[in-house]
This record gives sequence, C-alpha cells and structure tokens, in this order.
Amino acid sequence: MTSGNRLSRLLALVPWLSAHPGITMPQAAQHFGITVGQLESDLNLLVCNGLPGHRTEDLVDIQFWDEGGHIDVLDPQTLGRPLRLSPEEAMALLVALRLLAQVPGDHDRDALASVTATLEEAAGSAARGADRLQVDLEVPGDIAETVESALRARRVLRLSYLSGVGEASERDVDPIRTLALDGHAYLEAWCHRAGAIRTFRLDRIVSATVLNEPATPPPDGTGIDLPAGSGIAARQASVSNPLHPQGPPATLLLRPEASWLLDEVATDSVEQQPDGSWLVVVPVPNPTWAVRWALRLGGAARVLGPPELVEAVRTAASRALAAYEAPTLNAAAGSSGG
Amino acid sequence: MSARRTERLLNLLFALMAASQPVTRVQLRNLVTDYHDESDEAFERMFERDKDELRGMGVPIDTVHGAGGESLGYRVRRDDYALPEIQLTPAELSVLGLAARVWEQASLGPAARSALAKLEAAGGGWADNRPVGVQTRVTAHDPALLPLLDAVRVRRPVRFDYRRPDQQEPSIRRVEPWGVLSRRGRWYVVGRDLDRDQPRAFRLSRIEGIVRRDGSPDSYTVPADVDVRALVAPPVSADRTARVRLAPGRGQELRRRALRVEPGPHAAAGGPTSADLGDDIVTVVFGEARTLAAEAAALGADAVVLEPRDVRDAVRALLAGALMEHAR
Repeated sequence: MTSGNRLSRLLALVPWLSAHPGITMPQAAQHFGITVGQLESDLNLLVCNGLPGHRTEDLVDIQFWDEGGHIDVLDPQTLGRPLRLSPEEAMALLVALRLLAQVPGDHDRDALASVTATLEEAAGSAARGADRLQVDLEVPGDIAETVESALRARRVLRLSYLSGVGEASERDVDPIRTLALDGHAYLEAWCHRAGAIRTFRLDRIVSATVLNEPATPPPDGTGIDLPAGSGIAARQASVSNPLHPQGPPATLLLRPEASWLLDEVATDSVEQQPDGSWLVVVPVPNPTWAVRWALRLGGAARVLGPPELVEAVRTAASRALAAYEAPTLNAAAGSSGG
Repeated sequence: MSARRTERLLNLLFALMAASQPVTRVQLRNLVTDYHDESDEAFERMFERDKDELRGMGVPIDTVHGAGGESLGYRVRRDDYALPEIQLTPAELSVLGLAARVWEQASLGPAARSALAKLEAAGGGWADNRPVGVQTRVTAHDPALLPLLDAVRVRRPVRFDYRRPDQQEPSIRRVEPWGVLSRRGRWYVVGRDLDRDQPRAFRLSRIEGIVRRDGSPDSYTVPADVDVRALVAPPVSADRTARVRLAPGRGQELRRRALRVEPGPHAAAGGPTSADLGDDIVTVVFGEARTLAAEAAALGADAVVLEPRDVRDAVRALLAGALMEHAR
C-alpha cells in the first residue's frame, strides 16, 4: 500500500469514526478491509499527531483501548469532516455504479440512479475523467430481463442452456442471485435436475421462460463465494463449468506461433526453451476443454502429458480426419456445388 | 512507502489546515519535524512531492501570490476541503456498499473503500452488508493499472516496457493514453503510440516493470471520436458464408448464429437420439477463414466444414498437424 492510500484511509477514518460513535475495533476494521492490528496502528499514528505544536490539546484524541474495544473520537482536530473525493475514489465508485446498472439482479434501481446522480454532484471536478475507464459486460439483453424478472418475482425459470463445451440441456431452476465477474454475468440457481446449486453463464442461456410456479431455493443457498479463486481456468472450473471438476494439469509444448495461448489461458508455469518454444503447465477444467485447444492449435502445440490426454487428442484428431475422408461427406460437399 | 512518509504528509496537512494566513515554505519547514534536518535541496524536493501527493488526494492547496506576483505561501481552502453535506437513504447506502465491493479484488479496492467511508461520514449512516440478489466483481492486479488510470485522467504521456508473448525482450513504448478498458477479464490501455504515431491498444499484463511519467499533465487532447473498444477488438467484416455439417445436438455455438439449419433425418425420426440418424447442416457467416477453421477443428468429428474449400482445407491441415504432433 502506498502512503497515499494509507493517508486517504486515515483521513476517511476520523470522520467515519466520528459519525459512528461507540463502534468496535473489529467492526471498523472489517468496514475498511483491514486487520484489527492495522487499525490499531492507524489509530496510534493519528493520536500521536495533530496541530503544530503537539501540545496535548493540539493532538487528535481518540479513545480505543477500553475492554469492549469501542472507539470514540473525542477531538478530531481539523479532520472532523471528510475530505472531498479524490479523482481515483470518484472513478472507482462511479464506474462500479455504472456497471451495476448493466448487471441483472434484484438491486434497487431507483436508489442506484439517484445515488449515482448524488455522487456525480458531490464529487464535482473529481468526477471528470471517470468515463475514461470502461468495464465491458457481455449481457444478452432479453435473457437478462427474463432472469431479473424471475429473480424479483421468485419464480421458477425454465432454461435451455449450453455448457462451456457446447452441450445443450433443458433445466428448471430456482434463481438465487446473479453474479457478474470480469465481463460475464452468471445466474446462480437451484437446479431441479441436478438437485444442487449450479451457475449458468447468461450468454450461454439459449432461451429462458418464467414459469408460473414459485421458486423455493434452499434458504442458505449461495454456492460460490466470489471471487472464486483467480485466473481464467479457476473461473472456468468453478463458475462456468460447475458440472466439471478440475482434472490434473496438462503439460504443453507451444511453438512460438502459438504463444498467444499464454494470454488466453491461466498457467501454472511457463518456461521458454532455447529454440523459442514454450514449456507450459496449464490447469485443465475438463479433458474436453483441453482436447479442443489441442485440435484448434493444430501442429503449433503438443500435449506432453498426462498420457490419457495425449491419447484423447490423438483419437479425436484421427476421428475428425476420418470424417473428412468419408465418401458420403465428399458427396455432400460435391452436391452443394463446393 | 513508509509509515514515516504518511506521518509527514499528515503533519503537513495539519500545518496547512491550522493556519489562518498563508504559510510560507520556511514556516512549513519548521512546523514539519521531518523537514528539519534535510538540506535545502532535499527539503525542496520532498516538499514538492508531498504537496503534489496531497493535491492528488483532493486536498485543495492554493499557492498565494502577492501583488508583485511573488509567492506568499500556501493555504488550504477550508470551504473546498470537505465533501458537501449529502443525504443518503438506507437503500442508496446499500447500493454504494455493493459498488465499493465491486473492486474488492482489485487495486482500486482501497480507493473504493475510503470513498464509501467518506460518503457514509458525510451522509450519516452506514452501508449494510445485507445480502442482495446480485454480486459483482472486477478483478485487477496489474501494477500498471493505477498509474495508467492516473495518466489517463490528467492526460499525461507515459512510457513502459512492453513484451508480447512471442518476444524475448521487451521494447520501450511511449504512449499518450486515451482510455482504459476491461474486456472479458483482460485489461487494456489505448492511446497514441508516440514512436509509431498510430493509435494502439496494449494489454496491461504484458507491461513489465513500472509505468513512468513521460511528460506533463494536459499535454495532449484525446480525439473526440475515439472508440476504445474498437481499438482493442477491431470489428471483423464477416462477408462470407460457410456450410458446416454438425452431429445432432453438437456445435451449439455455431447453431446459435447460423443463418439457416438444414435438419438431418434425425429430426423426422423424433429427435437427436443417435448420430447414425444423420447430421444437420448449418450455414454461418464468417470473416476470417482461419478463425472459423480453428472453431470447427476444436469440435473434432462433430463438425465437418463442407464449403468453402479454403476453410475445409484449413481445418484438415490443423487436424493433420494435431495428429502428427500426438502420433505414437
């Protein structure tokens, strides 16, 4: 953390504590996303400082060492009112609010609109430039609307869904909540067919219908605590392909022309070879996913292990080539005029 | 950076806030303990940096000039220091809490939290954490993000080392940044590449080391018609069509965007129960042959491109390559 960040927090801390007298150390620490130890060192720093002169009556006075861990600001000196937002702070909240406006869910959209306007006004010139940060969210509009209305009305939703590897299925689900993570929106729901909580990516929902049937998701029902790990493969394993547990990692040899893959998938380790190729270990959400990448890369990549995966790629490539050689197909290609 | 610098900045702020008259540099040097033992030169450097840091956080520090234009000292505009009084309903506070949590896994997280705390202090109340039916997260751990956002806001040129995955060594890029975009979990900065004199998009994950300032604020203008998204992902003109044979129920992504589906005999037989019943033929629009070929190759035996010939040949080349690489 830079000192700018910490100072921003100190300046926010004093007025916030003044506005919430008697709050406990753990409550305040949690609210600021820091440990009680960090909070204590922030408070110690504050009470050692104050107006020039550093006489006792010039110091910031905060009491925080009683047995219940309650904090009371006795004298904030000149820090009693919150400093206006910095451009970075205004940007962080405004961009997040604009993103929330695009996310389907049961959040209060009137409050969202009014608080966005309040913030733009209160931030003043600090709000300028906030629109230079854009966060894209791929949400199919009609599906999002249907999902939101089912969530608000607490009704069962009938989905036609494509899994991450392109398998179609029909399911009735009890919506629990929506998630938006790094550009994709998801529906978390109790799936009647699976008898478990499942997560569905909105852009893989082919069609959705709200049924005239009340949804009864389990009361303690949230499957995933966001963020579910980090990295694309972790997300594929836990969020977009909840039906597929993560398999053993694969070792790949990528020729230089396939190095773009390093930007596309999460990697456990990457090592460049003397000839310019790359030795890479990647987490594998499921074998089908890995076979698809290998076929797509053609001769530019070689799976070195595990052996079952090498075998699976060989079989898939040879079956696919055979499909191209089949006489009926050639006839079909010929009859269509080529 | 250190607790010591935080404390110094805090003391500088107190010194400026307490004064009813403009405070001179000499006075500030006496008031802030950390400045006492520094050489004149070191003090000037520290003071300039500290003053910029406070201003960057939103502290309104004025330089007061005399009638002859001479500097009389510095002053914090107390009226502009504080957030205006605002009224927030519990529902609005709750939405603000949701917004602050968007950046929980990002380097903007601390800024979002302190912003929320300031608004709570100004508006009274407290954003509850009661669960709602929506959770949103944007992750960002690239060290380049915050310096680039700052550069974009103030329109200051930057330079950084940039390495594409196919390059052994990074190259120095000098850029006037126009905007930052998060797309599909990836972060990009878009701007004018000063050495190429062209608009360019850069992946933040490919920036090595630190982003350095390379000019002063407000030193360029962002073109009014700039489309950051189009620079990151240039639209491909899709003007050709292909026919692809798909096994029943397979290749759903292709089916979804198909112009036409010619159902195989299985449809008449009552549903996709067996591949033996015959495949569907879909017609799709595409732009780049190799993109469609890669998509079809990935589907293995479930997809066979019938035409055009160049895509069909490209798929066969990919499959033959994969087979050769994995031969026993």
